[in-house]
Amino acid sequence: MGQPAGHSDRVLLGVRNVSKRFGSTQALSDVSVDFFSGEVHALMGENGAGKSTLGKAIAGLHKPDAGSITIAGRTLKPGSLEDAYSAGVRIVHQELEQCPNLSVAENLCLSDVPTRQFGLVDFQAMTEQASTLVHRLDPSIDVTRPLGELSPGRRQICQIASALEEGAGGISSPKVIVFDEPTSSLSISEADRLLDIIRELAHSGITIIYVSHRMGEIFAVCDRVTVLRDGQFVSTNVVSEIDEPTLVEQMIGRRLGDEDPQPTHSPGGEARALGKLADIDPDRPTATGKVMLSVHEMSSPGKLHNISFEVRSGEVLGIGGLVGAGRSELLCAIFGLDPKASATMTLDGQEIPIGNIRASIAAGMGFVPEDRRHEGLFFNLGVDENIVLPAMPQMANWKVPFGLRNAAAECKLVTNRLERFQVKTASLTSKPSELSGGNQQKLLIARWMGEKTKVLLLDEPTRGIDVGTKAEVYRLIRQAAAQGLAVVFVSSEMPELLAISDRIMVLAEGACTGTLTGEDMTQRNILTLATRE
Amino acid sequence: MPTSTATGPTNGAKQPIWKRLVSSQETGLLLVILLMGAMLAIFGGTKTTQYRIELDQSTVVNVLDNSGTLHDFGAIPLPQVEAYRVEHPNGDRQIYARADGFRYDASQSVIFGEREENRFLDDQNLVNVAKDASFIAIMAVGMTGVIILAGIDLSVGSIYGLAALMGAIALHALPEDAGLVVSLAVGLGVSCLVGLLCGFLNGVMIVGLRVHSFVITLGTMAAFRGILFVKSQGQSIGGFPKSYTSGFFRSEIGGTQPVPVLFMLAVVAVGYFLLAKTVVGRQVYAIGGNETAARYAGVPVGRVKIIVFSMLGLLCGLSAAIYLGYYGAAEPNAGQAYELKVIAATVIGGASLMGGRGSAIGAVLGAIVIQLIDNGMIILRIDQSYNQIVMGSAIIVAVVVDQAKARLAPKG
Repeated sequence: MGQPAGHSDRVLLGVRNVSKRFGSTQALSDVSVDFFSGEVHALMGENGAGKSTLGKAIAGLHKPDAGSITIAGRTLKPGSLEDAYSAGVRIVHQELEQCPNLSVAENLCLSDVPTRQFGLVDFQAMTEQASTLVHRLDPSIDVTRPLGELSPGRRQICQIASALEEGAGGISSPKVIVFDEPTSSLSISEADRLLDIIRELAHSGITIIYVSHRMGEIFAVCDRVTVLRDGQFVSTNVVSEIDEPTLVEQMIGRRLGDEDPQPTHSPGGEARALGKLADIDPDRPTATGKVMLSVHEMSSPGKLHNISFEVRSGEVLGIGGLVGAGRSELLCAIFGLDPKASATMTLDGQEIPIGNIRASIAAGMGFVPEDRRHEGLFFNLGVDENIVLPAMPQMANWKVPFGLRNAAAECKLVTNRLERFQVKTASLTSKPSELSGGNQQKLLIARWMGEKTKVLLLDEPTRGIDVGTKAEVYRLIRQAAAQGLAVVFVSSEMPELLAISDRIMVLAEGACTGTLTGEDMTQRNILTLATRE
Repeated sequence: MPTSTATGPTNGAKQPIWKRLVSSQETGLLLVILLMGAMLAIFGGTKTTQYRIELDQSTVVNVLDNSGTLHDFGAIPLPQVEAYRVEHPNGDRQIYARADGFRYDASQSVIFGEREENRFLDDQNLVNVAKDASFIAIMAVGMTGVIILAGIDLSVGSIYGLAALMGAIALHALPEDAGLVVSLAVGLGVSCLVGLLCGFLNGVMIVGLRVHSFVITLGTMAAFRGILFVKSQGQSIGGFPKSYTSGFFRSEIGGTQPVPVLFMLAVVAVGYFLLAKTVVGRQVYAIGGNETAARYAGVPVGRVKIIVFSMLGLLCGLSAAIYLGYYGAAEPNAGQAYELKVIAATVIGGASLMGGRGSAIGAVLGAIVIQLIDNGMIILRIDQSYNQIVMGSAIIVAVVVDQAKARLAPKG
């Protein structure tokens, strides 16, 4: 699928054989793409395909391990934001990285504040400079207001405006602008306005590199699309010559061939391999236990819209979707971390209040959060107390007023859990920092696996741990289900989602776009539902 | 975070007790205290004390020679006398050694003498250090809980002063000859209750208004002190029942007045127990280590915070009650600048201002260090004005040393 002939003279930016590795992950391997002047060029792929990394490498935010990036014949210094900037490459970030306490004008002139004599700030010049830039995109923005008071959409526009800053003194005017998931925090009308701006910019001759996973936007605004998978280049296509299913197929790639309809739970090669590694029976019977957790019309302003589902005892419900689809938010709301959430929820037949963590725990819920460093572990306490903390009050000898710890029962519980979950630790009082990432994760799962636990919520439980430990975690999850727990499991890695789950619910934009069971559980179906708007 | 898969046998099983003892913060502090003591003993110099002990006519004075044999007074020549033995009519005996400078004047029936004493190691001085440290240490145990929570309480000095004043007003209203039980119940009860209420108020505002404890207690530090001034009109209040002062808090045992020290030891024991052995105690450490994770683990974060601030208030009240009994009056400026000393004691005692770390025993040792600095200035005849400079520097040094240690320790 090469580029149409006759375009080579229009190549403005060339990426040649670029590779980049983060720790044990190969984010980009030997990627080469050409970008034409004045085109909107989308970079697409699953979570972790390398699309954001490529955009950041072009803008000089990441230093490639190998390969080169050239713009208009000039080779950029690898990993130098300054060099890329002076060559005319600008980036509009995924996260809005600005100073909300300063005015719009100050934000725009942050790198080069205009001054009068004695180094005093020339506010008038600053306001003029800023208005020229911003009003080109949106004349209604008052540049003297603090940036933090603007809506996310307008803040985004200000950021684009700062990317449009004309060069002076050897710095080129903008030629390439990288947009990294620009619509992820915008409302629909704001996103539409942004797409208009992008079209206008492309008309004025600027090359737009558009990193996104939203299908609709790709087809609405882009000229060509490059698909990446697992850090590798897959294809570049003219958007008007390709349709959505083909694009999805390319994002999933060769694994699609393995996904011919087959008996239940044989979801593709990689997933099958993972399942085998963790001794998961691909022909396990469907869970028919009683309904353990039932969530009815879970909503939270700006995060979740009317999500309803049930999980049975012994069942693993996988939650799929792309980054920002509201998966973690859903788990948080179920566990009671979101005070604004509303829903009717029952656990084992008992109705439980929303937004009350302790009631959730008392009812038998366990939650392993996404960020184990910041939300899970106590680095000042030993392994023993890290495990026993939620159970400590129930085990106390005298509960009032301070609760006398029952050392013997605690020790028994801890040794039992460490053994059952095979947490490798030097001693019971070792600090979590002395454990490997995988053992930290197993520790957190062990924390919640008490006798009274009925529902286990897991958010990305295998992030950052090695393959061997991953398999152990899978085994623990299936083991928990076999003991009658209902497991809700969020993962960005589709193969593991397919390998462990009995059912998969897919979220997009905070709403449920479909639930897959049996032979419908394929990467293609997940991705189709996940990119539906 | 390194996720090493190459797992060799990690560093052994549980450390032996002696190793943990040696490497613990408390042992280090004990060493510092001993070192400071040695320095003060060596460089503090001596003072001369003159003695003059009048004897009754009925007392018998004998002398001992160098072999310990008893002789009548005057039976052997003076240079051979090692010591005088005084026997009272009731059978009590005392020995006064000539080597210590004692002489006996038979005509006046008086034992007199001059004794060189180490200014630091003097009994009275050591007891004073321990007593003064007690007031700080009792509050520092409470402050340890607050600092483990990654909070701070600047209002301790004002709570102490206000509790003392209220206790004083209540005690003053009692008749001079009120019984021990009544006066103790009133004095301890009122002071502790006032302290508890102040601490509870701090806690409720910190949790309810979601404002950092620094700001709330900065405000209450001024407000509580203001209430104190309005209420006392700048006058000190005394005139308590005897049973409360000399009958209890100033009661002498073996020539010393140990009641404040005994209270301190009890508070440390209870504080250690609460922090190490109770559920709420461990929840305090959990919140300080990772508040988000604690919330996720079902710890009632707000409730625990209120409890901890209330306990600190209660201990400020207790300290104030002892102060009333020991000094017999409440001054309007009581407890002024105590927050500095209490926080310094806690931090020197190993509590981390980042939260998650600290111990009750450390706090007491820290208070002793603080008091030794105070005492050292007197012993070494340094102008008291330098006191604050040294105290301030000590806090900074303690925190810097603590952070350096954290940087050197292996990270996860």
